[in-house]
Amino acid sequence: MSAAIAPAGGSKYDLSFARWVYQNIDGGDRISLCMQCGMCSGSCPIGTAMDHGPRKLFMLIRAGMKEAVLTSDTIWNCTQCYNCVVRCPRQIPVTNILQGLATVAVREGYAPQQPTAKFSKAFWLSVKRFGRTDERLVTALYYFSYGLKEGVRRGLDNLPIAWRMVKAKRMHLGLPHRAKGAADLRAIIAKAEEIEARERAEG
Amino acid sequence: MQAKKAGVYLCGGCGIAEAVSLDALEAVAVKEFKVAHCRRHEFLCGEDGVRAIRGDVAAGTVNQVVVAACSPRVNADRFQAEGAQVFRANLREQVAWTQPPGAENTAILAADYLRIAIAEAQKSSPPTAHHEGPHSARILVVGAGISGLTAARAAARAGYHVLLVEQSGEIGGHARRWSKRMPQKPPYQAPQDNDIDRLIAMVEADPRIEVRRNCRVVKTAGGPGQFTVTLRQDADEPECLIGAIVLATGWRPYDPEKLGHLGYGASPDVVTSLALEDMLAARSLKRKSDGRPARTIAFVQCAGSRDPNHLPYCSSVCCGVSIKQALQIREADPDSSVYVIYEELRTPGVAEEFYRAAQRAGVIFIKGGVKRVGADLTVTMDDALLGEEIALAGLDLIVLATGMVPNAAGIAGAGEEPSPLPEADIDPLAPIAVAGCTGAVPAPRPPATQIIVAGTPLLNLQYRQGPHLPILADGFADSHFICFPYETRRSGIYTCGPLRRPMDMAEAAEDATGAALKAIQAIRNAAEGRGLHPRAGDLSYPKIGLNTCTKCRRCTVECPFGAIDETPDGFPIVNPTRCRRCGTCMGACPVRTISFDNYSVEMLTAMIKAVEIPEEDDKPRVLVLACQSDAYPAFDMAGIARSPMNAFVRTIAVRCLGSVNLLCISEALSCGYDGILLMGCKSGDDYQCHFVKGSAIAQERLSKVGETLKSMALESERVQSVEVSIADGGRLPKILDDYLAVIERIGPSPLKGFG
Amino acid sequence: MVGQAAQSQTILVVGGGIAGITAAVEAAETGYEVVLVEQGPSLGGRVAQLNRYFPKLCHPTCGLEIHYQRLRGHPKIKVFTLATVAAVAGARGRYRVTVATSPRYVNARCTACGDCARASTTRVPNAFNYGLDTVPAAYLPHPMAYPMRYVLAPEVIGTPEAEAIRAACKYGAIDLDEEPATFEIVVGAIIWATGWKPYAGEKLESYGYGRIANVITNVEMERLAAPGGPTQGRILRPSDGKEAKRVAFLQCAGSRDYNHLPYCSRICCLASLKHAAYLREQYADAWIDIYYIDIRAHDKLESFYRRIKADPQVRFVKSKPASITAGDRGDPVVHGEDTLTRELYDCAYDLVVLATGMEPSAALAPAELTVDEYGFIVADLHDSGGMFAAGVAAGPLDVSMSVQSATAAVLKAIQAVSAGEADAGQA
Repeated sequence: MSAAIAPAGGSKYDLSFARWVYQNIDGGDRISLCMQCGMCSGSCPIGTAMDHGPRKLFMLIRAGMKEAVLTSDTIWNCTQCYNCVVRCPRQIPVTNILQGLATVAVREGYAPQQPTAKFSKAFWLSVKRFGRTDERLVTALYYFSYGLKEGVRRGLDNLPIAWRMVKAKRMHLGLPHRAKGAADLRAIIAKAEEIEARERAEG
Repeated sequence: MQAKKAGVYLCGGCGIAEAVSLDALEAVAVKEFKVAHCRRHEFLCGEDGVRAIRGDVAAGTVNQVVVAACSPRVNADRFQAEGAQVFRANLREQVAWTQPPGAENTAILAADYLRIAIAEAQKSSPPTAHHEGPHSARILVVGAGISGLTAARAAARAGYHVLLVEQSGEIGGHARRWSKRMPQKPPYQAPQDNDIDRLIAMVEADPRIEVRRNCRVVKTAGGPGQFTVTLRQDADEPECLIGAIVLATGWRPYDPEKLGHLGYGASPDVVTSLALEDMLAARSLKRKSDGRPARTIAFVQCAGSRDPNHLPYCSSVCCGVSIKQALQIREADPDSSVYVIYEELRTPGVAEEFYRAAQRAGVIFIKGGVKRVGADLTVTMDDALLGEEIALAGLDLIVLATGMVPNAAGIAGAGEEPSPLPEADIDPLAPIAVAGCTGAVPAPRPPATQIIVAGTPLLNLQYRQGPHLPILADGFADSHFICFPYETRRSGIYTCGPLRRPMDMAEAAEDATGAALKAIQAIRNAAEGRGLHPRAGDLSYPKIGLNTCTKCRRCTVECPFGAIDETPDGFPIVNPTRCRRCGTCMGACPVRTISFDNYSVEMLTAMIKAVEIPEEDDKPRVLVLACQSDAYPAFDMAGIARSPMNAFVRTIAVRCLGSVNLLCISEALSCGYDGILLMGCKSGDDYQCHFVKGSAIAQERLSKVGETLKSMALESERVQSVEVSIADGGRLPKILDDYLAVIERIGPSPLKGFG
Repeated sequence: MVGQAAQSQTILVVGGGIAGITAAVEAAETGYEVVLVEQGPSLGGRVAQLNRYFPKLCHPTCGLEIHYQRLRGHPKIKVFTLATVAAVAGARGRYRVTVATSPRYVNARCTACGDCARASTTRVPNAFNYGLDTVPAAYLPHPMAYPMRYVLAPEVIGTPEAEAIRAACKYGAIDLDEEPATFEIVVGAIIWATGWKPYAGEKLESYGYGRIANVITNVEMERLAAPGGPTQGRILRPSDGKEAKRVAFLQCAGSRDYNHLPYCSRICCLASLKHAAYLREQYADAWIDIYYIDIRAHDKLESFYRRIKADPQVRFVKSKPASITAGDRGDPVVHGEDTLTRELYDCAYDLVVLATGMEPSAALAPAELTVDEYGFIVADLHDSGGMFAAGVAAGPLDVSMSVQSATAAVLKAIQAVSAGEADAGQA
């Protein structure tokens, strides 16, 4: 991903933002093919929990409404179920695009103070460190991102669930497992971050 | 003329012998009608039966074959016998399959159908083809745009000589202005080179095509195979003999001056699609106002089209044209911003690829209705998908995608008075109205007079029915536009291209090729005296007994095809090559002096009278005169479904309800029928008559029957008309039973027994 | 070139739907010999299965009847049903065509009296009604069949029932020993009028066709509305025969979709508008929702759209529905997003109709023909060959356009047979 700051358009349908998205977000070029049929938003299992839904988000991109796009909860609430992707009549990789927009939103400080963004950060830390998710680590990081008091309260609230998961062998109590080759993964991520930083600097 | 030698062939198959007594039928033929030759067969359409018939004909024993078997709609090929006329009594579908076997009424019904068929034979002669006057196989093509050029070239390639006349000084039409055209070849994504020059060159090089520029048709007389066309070229007025005519006068853009609400005229930078095309062809996309390059451009779709205040129809091509132009702009200038503002984006078929290509190229499509366009080139619109009113500002150029208007009339030359199309020539039909599905909502009427500018008639037909070619209320040339799109109401004259409906260049070329085929076909059939669609190949044509003609002019007025002209002293003259053989003239004639060799008022009357009218009150008789193409097949459908039918009904097929003369009705009444039903196709706006006006004319005539009925002291219910479509087989039994109930209520005809 | 004896002016028309019939009749009436080859047991094709045409709402059988009148006994037209083109060799002016026929088991002696049908006990799916009902194993393809001749379903061949059927025919028309056969003809030009088939509803996985009761396709809707259809023209839903009054139409069911048919099928918008008209004519209290992306009522058909749109009981929802689920009481529920309001809806209907598109029929495509990636025959812009496409074989067209296309194809074929003679002369 090249990484100049995404330009904000001056007026409606100023195409600078749209073109930046088309060029800089993985799969973004296919947004231009969107015919606004609504298949994606209608297919989304948590569509009711989205302010815009992917279809309208693509419309907003087209209309140059950068702020509305990057502050949208749609990009954070996507569960990556791929319903929209397999059904899109124009084969737009909706989920990739939403992920790409999330990255841009974080980078440019638009990421909203909302659970999914926090959760994503916790998730990412776990993956980076251990090469896999550790339920206790991710939930702990997530809960405590709300502050100490809130973290403790949430943890206690969910204790019964945790206990049932342990009994069902869906969660274990020992040290976090480390994935095989976690060190290699860390190296790969570090390299990717280095490349991205370089590209961003080069604009 | 050869003496008529009728042979009656009775078939006992398919349940006929079980339903009725063939002995009784034979007695009808031999004793009542003195038919010398009557044969029976248990399987007449089998090899033996057919051999027997053909043998009798070949031996000269018989030259009129009366087949009393199945419906005339089946086995026509089997019962054909070279040198004989064939008549059919439908004892299967309409007797054996719909009546209780062995019943008395079934036997009487079968006998009556046999009587009707024999009576028909007695009044029929084999038709002799019309072979008179000069004949030309040359095709006149009017208009040398893509349609006209294609038609000319297509006909020439099939070996025909073509006269191609073009009103302007140059051939090629609008097609010459297109810098590129829409793609015809896979992957259907990029504008394609305009190859009109190649077509022009081929036409110019073709020895079979004579091109005349600055030339117009000033007069057209005659009919297929023998049109006399007067041209005007400079001071010259040559007269040509022409076999058939292809009209390809094309279209013109909708007058942008009427689009003030879309900013036309407010700024020189609000232009039409055609004006943009000129800029693209010149590879110079500059603003007229200040010469600056235009880099931010908006297309406004449906500029005039789909607007009841302007053009009620969709001009079809504008979406494709704007996409093409947008792609050209994006290709030439990657930094340009191009918007297409649309309400419904219409890229049917593989043109969807073209739409996607434009999207891929970064053209922005905005769905919404334009509210206004300011002189500062700001487009204010309701953005349907953003759900708000927005102002699209900072535009360099606004392109109005103006629609197509058919050139249904010519532009008046100097010193000529434009003649507006008479109302009568504007067919009310129009595809505007649809059946009564949404009864509460009236069909919108297009403002025809706004679309159709007054102008000179394209061919200036020297026809009794006026100089113009009939057009539809939306301004396009009349045609039977679903099943038989080439059939116009003027035989041998075929319209094509955007004169018929809005279409793009590829479609116009295809359409023109089809029209050229129809022209060739008309010429070949005219040469042999054969009728055209829908009675293609029919050799019969109306003959008028001028000694009894009263010059009432009904035949010349009512002919749906304008086939009958008038002499200066008011006598009708038939143009047999224009005639479609529907018999409307015969139905119109108050003195029954118009007949075909094999179809006449006298014949229908004889068939009607052949039915025995019993005097008993419990045996009413209802005569059904049924359109051969729709109502009669519906009877057959009921037969195939084995639906029991009322036994008191006698059905006679007619070529068209328009051929039913009121004299037939009054004869039927006077010989004692209790009721008469005329069954024809749907009339009115969405008519289904293959002869355009037959059923409408019949209904109009029927409205005058009231007087006759009154004078005969008969109830008005005794003669009624019903619209029956071919799909109404299921409804028929009830229609008949209901009518018989009416007859029962009003009682038997008082005229019974006087016939 | 040697062997010029095989020069032929005959035009072969492959496919007996509206385009093929038109081509055959127009060519014959222009004086050319025509061989018409149809793979089904009757002519008429898809139009015979339509209840009515848009926008006049008239019956296709009306036009077919005229065509049949022109066809019947025309000395220049030879019709072969249950026949396909198996191979083509040679060049224009002298194509050697191998025609393969499948057995009908009923010969030309058939009078269509129907005794065979009365003698058959097995019932088979009625292909004419898209399998919505059944017919006896000996059946007439449809009441407007041409030729008017019965067919025996292959299922009963070799059974005692077949013998009983043979015994029931008084005219010796049942021929149980009929075998597939081939024969060769020489023709000068070939018109491919091979038409289309409805896109398979089952492939639209999230719409549940075939799984969810009362989700049907538009071609099935035509049969439900047709007087000769499985419900005698009353629009009743399949699961329980309830009157279908609350009906949804899903446009672009397969069309305009890279996962299915990438092109627009052109006719489906108008077909659904027509179906709305059927429903409104039949039920005063019908409520109809049409889910669409763009309503493509091209040229004069716009008026039909405007007329239906003005009906307050027909609602247009700009949305491509995402899915259909089975609801209570057999009512399918349509889910999706209304793109103009951004509302997510879950609407239950008596009946849901998928406006499925047109897929070109798979047909033999000789090397001389160029076929695009969708299977449509690409026009030979230089007219150098002797093969031409007519109707939907050339692209998604409506009836009127198919007829135009067929008429044009006839002239191209005539040019080709004339040119074929010239080719041979030069050689």
